[in-house]
Amino acid sequence: MRIGTRAVRWGVPVAAVAVVAGIAAAGPVIAAAQGEPSLPRRTAAELLADAAERWQSGRLPQMSGTIVETASLGLPALPAAGGATSPLGLLSGSHQAKVWYGGPDRLRLMVPDEMSESDLVVNGDQVWWWDSAANTATRIKGAPDGAGRPDAVPYAGTVTPRQAAEEALRAAGADTEIAVGEDASVAGRAAYQVVLTPKNAGSLVKEVRLAIDGETLVPLRVQLYAKGTAEPAFEVGFDSVTFTPPAPENFAFTPPPGAKVEESTAPPIARVPHGKDGEVGLDGHDGAAPRVVGDGWDRVVVVSVPKRFEGDVAGAADRAKGGRDGDGVASLANGMLNAATPVSGEWGSGRLIRTKLVTALLTDDGRLLAGAVTPEVLYAAAAAK
Amino acid sequence: MSSHETFAHAAPLRAAGPARAAARLLASETALTFRRPRHLAMLAVLAVVPVLIGVAVRIAGADGDAGPIIARVAGNGLVLAFASLSAMLPLILPLAVSVVAGDAVAGEASQGTLRYLLTAPAGRGRLLALKYANVLVFCLAACALVAVSALVAGLALFPTGPVTLLSGTTVPYVEGLLRAGLAVLYAAAGMAALGALALAFSTLTENPVGAIAASVVLVVVSQVLAVIPQLSALRPFLLTSWWNAFDGVLRAPMDTGRMGTGLLVFAGYAVVSGAFAWARFTSRDVTS
Repeated sequence: MRIGTRAVRWGVPVAAVAVVAGIAAAGPVIAAAQGEPSLPRRTAAELLADAAERWQSGRLPQMSGTIVETASLGLPALPAAGGATSPLGLLSGSHQAKVWYGGPDRLRLMVPDEMSESDLVVNGDQVWWWDSAANTATRIKGAPDGAGRPDAVPYAGTVTPRQAAEEALRAAGADTEIAVGEDASVAGRAAYQVVLTPKNAGSLVKEVRLAIDGETLVPLRVQLYAKGTAEPAFEVGFDSVTFTPPAPENFAFTPPPGAKVEESTAPPIARVPHGKDGEVGLDGHDGAAPRVVGDGWDRVVVVSVPKRFEGDVAGAADRAKGGRDGDGVASLANGMLNAATPVSGEWGSGRLIRTKLVTALLTDDGRLLAGAVTPEVLYAAAAAK
Repeated sequence: MSSHETFAHAAPLRAAGPARAAARLLASETALTFRRPRHLAMLAVLAVVPVLIGVAVRIAGADGDAGPIIARVAGNGLVLAFASLSAMLPLILPLAVSVVAGDAVAGEASQGTLRYLLTAPAGRGRLLALKYANVLVFCLAACALVAVSALVAGLALFPTGPVTLLSGTTVPYVEGLLRAGLAVLYAAAGMAALGALALAFSTLTENPVGAIAASVVLVVVSQVLAVIPQLSALRPFLLTSWWNAFDGVLRAPMDTGRMGTGLLVFAGYAVVSGAFAWARFTSRDVTS
């Protein structure tokens, strides 16, 4: 009897664990249960045409939501790769941003960080970049064809689904198979899935999945799958989204008293980070401008690397103590070089870095070749000089 | 103290009305907690740290590698409340809460007063609820003390006026105070979840130091786990990852989504720990 009572009592915490675990797991489960919504069938061509028409006419509905970006490119872990707003930080892990869209010239993008936040506020011809950690408001002037197209604001840190979708569609051509896949559920909404599959054998990209909202035809998610992986290597999409007009105060930004006010042609975030004195010449101001060879999915970027690059990179981790971006570049470069394997062939010799999605080749004659391609494509590009 | 404690619990039970009896029990338990010298010393430390931060910022200036929020303190004293919470939530506040909650049952057991407590016709479940209610009061008091001390120090050391939020929006001072109040409530909820955990540990042992150490070690270990990039998938399930989400009150619009999720996590930890503590406490043989 006594033992029986005890068993009953211990059943309570067991049940509590089950209930809490159930609730914790319920989010994904519910999403999965709704996972096969049925939308009226549309062919890929119809869908793309409809969507393209809406995007071009600029008649996107007002909306607000949370965007989650997840990258698992198989890079070496980057513990020092800056905060959520560092472009390098976006290469690994998961990041969140909030977006409010109130029309073609009203946009707010917010990247929260612990006890700080960065905001991009576009309101008419006013474009502000606010960085609370630095207490700096930057007014961005002369954004290239910025009026009427907020997406054109040179903001490299975070990609909106819309930008990513347009980019993916631009990449599509004769070398891509476009099909409509199974309907998906993104941010609780039924969405069409357009699946882009490269035909080139040399590409490391298995497919790009583009989820388009069934009702509004707004792109909700882009997923990039590398060959031989079940999980997307890169994903950016809405975690939650509502198609209601956002509150107008989201687009009203005035620099708070006490803040530094600067003017710039591009938000600080969009500049490629480098060491304090430009000692890590990744942004190429020592070498020639990057060149693109090949086309379609086999595109390869070729950068001439300054001669002192390697020595600099090896020692940069010690020297780049000022500024987290410098640290990020240094640790990235160090990790890369440690993971590199020496290779050689008719094209010469160098070091090869392989990740799930991107392959890079640093040749001994001072060129860096990179692309979402197999090493063979890089060797061919290296041989072509 | 121990005999006094026993009578303090037993005597009001004869008073009429279960609710009033519970309130009087809680009042006497709370009075004991706040009269204990080591608890008073802890509270004094909690009150002094915000003042130290304020003085340091005042003397050294807010430039250099000070955290982004510390740098704001010089501009507005109210921000010191948020900066102090942010600095003390990782370790100092959890330590204080662990000491009180970890001692709750194990302390009585080690002093030999637990069995006298259990002779009162209150029932073990109610005694445990009373102990947890006391922990809740302490959590709220500790977080509020930090904020009030920071507010007073901020008023004395720095200019006051409209507060600039993290989003760059400026709100009136009174609204800033309200937001600080919300931050205190959220932080107290996070501490209460840890308090439930420490109380569960407290029912497992007759050695209060063991229960206190266990909960502090848990806090430190989960913070270490949270910074390992390879274990980032674990982060949303760790209690410590959600404490700093009180910074949602400093955004415009307020980040209620993340704070709501945080409160759910706290509730999950509290429910599981509470059920565990109840099962253990009501089924164990009390010999001391």
